[in-house]
Amino acid sequence: MRTVRLLLFVVGAAATAYGGWLLLPQLGTALPWLIGGPVLHDVLVAPLVGLVGLALGRLVTNRLRLAWIAAGLTASATLLLIAVPLLWRPPSAPPNPGLPDRDYPLGLAVGLAVLWAAIVIVLVVATIVDRRVAHRRADRR
Amino acid sequence: MIRRPRVPAPEDFTAPSHSPLVTARLGLWLGVAFGLCFGTGLLSHYIQHPPGWFTWPTRPVNLYRVTQGVHVLSGVAAIPLLLAKLWSVYPRLFVRPPLRQPIRLSAHALERISVLVLVCAAFFELVTGLFNVAQSYPWGFFFPTAHYAVAWLVVGAMLLHVAVKLPVARAALSTPLRRRRAVPAATPGPDDRDSSERRAFLRTSAGVAGIAVLATAGVTVPWLRRVSPLAWRSASGPQGVPINRTAAAARIAVPADWRLEIVWPGGRDSLSLADLAALPQRTAELPIACVEGWSASAHWTGVPVVALLRRAGAPTGRPVRVTSLETDGLYAASTLPAAHARDPLTLLALRINGEQLSPDHGYPCRLIAPSRPGVLQTKWVARLEVLR
Repeated sequence: MRTVRLLLFVVGAAATAYGGWLLLPQLGTALPWLIGGPVLHDVLVAPLVGLVGLALGRLVTNRLRLAWIAAGLTASATLLLIAVPLLWRPPSAPPNPGLPDRDYPLGLAVGLAVLWAAIVIVLVVATIVDRRVAHRRADRR
Repeated sequence: MIRRPRVPAPEDFTAPSHSPLVTARLGLWLGVAFGLCFGTGLLSHYIQHPPGWFTWPTRPVNLYRVTQGVHVLSGVAAIPLLLAKLWSVYPRLFVRPPLRQPIRLSAHALERISVLVLVCAAFFELVTGLFNVAQSYPWGFFFPTAHYAVAWLVVGAMLLHVAVKLPVARAALSTPLRRRRAVPAATPGPDDRDSSERRAFLRTSAGVAGIAVLATAGVTVPWLRRVSPLAWRSASGPQGVPINRTAAAARIAVPADWRLEIVWPGGRDSLSLADLAALPQRTAELPIACVEGWSASAHWTGVPVVALLRRAGAPTGRPVRVTSLETDGLYAASTLPAAHARDPLTLLALRINGEQLSPDHGYPCRLIAPSRPGVLQTKWVARLEVLR
């Protein structure tokens, strides 16, 4: 394991140095885009996720429901993130026939609606099944 | 109870999603996604800037379409995985540095720096890649070189990170997520609850990665075109294929006396469009597979480059430089490697899906070769030059 770690260390350091050397001519313009991600995440996104998680934990007490709602929120946030470049397009590229070739806000809205409809169906089915199981147990007693 | 606000400590985060068992598994998945992304990206880089030792096969004709599709889709999958991984390790951000122990402090600082480089570079690659596929460039740097350079930063910093974390990760990966118990407990204890929440967090991360891929995979997977709401392109466009660069954007004016020039060491020849159309034509179904991951197949009709060279008496089996009418621009010329130049499916196409090429598709003729990036399928061809 020691050799493997040492090897990983040497190769990793070499690759990092190579990347840094390649980036050097453009470092000035790329730097804000390099630093921006972690700063936004650590200062804004992660605390927000934590707060939403805490609030959700207080509001929803059923664990299954909580898990599915959290999953739905995660999926929705991811889809919104992926959609940003499609929804916000600074006009920099020359016109491309067939590029923004669909109604992205509509597609996104439909996608989110399908996602939440699926989650609602899952939760309704799970609740019904739970109730039946509970009834059967009650009957046996 | 009133608590004074303070900077949190790692111990304040009690959720099971912060367990090393979760972190190590997410790290493994993210490593696979980034590994696929890096490997396919490196291939694409080498195809466009081939070093002497590099060769790229012409078969299967969809090979580049697949590798570049894997590139963008593994990048898309990495977005939720990266966020989940960062959430899992977020408490580590608040570890207090061991200020009084210089050796441990320097080790701590080095680890933090390598992680910072990794996170910076990982975000940079995913964000710039995502904007690039939408052909949106809200920055001052040149995307291809910056994206390529930072890819090395990601891989290097990732290897360093694995080197540091290998013992912890190995221990975590060999610990099963589900606790096996000899005697099942009558009532579920906190341990079982933690274990089930850890598994739920991992399931959600993997599921969201799947949803993200499904939402975008329509750019390159034909049967998903109607399913993916966020595919940045579909297969439609003028004459059935989207266009990246229009004739107007490339400022193309085809001269009335246009002739295709063929040049080789020791000879030259030229053909008019009528001459080209009179030669035996071949129709092939080949994809336009863009570096941005979208791809679409079309039926192209034209003269195989190898037949054209043979007829002119030019040597075959050598690289061929293909030059466009376009006078400036990065993609005004491309070099067909010898393998592609001798492949009978490499066409100088005059027609697309049964119609004459429109100006935006490269009228009078364009190059279309199997298993090549779209940017190298030169349009508005003016000249073929057989290299030595």
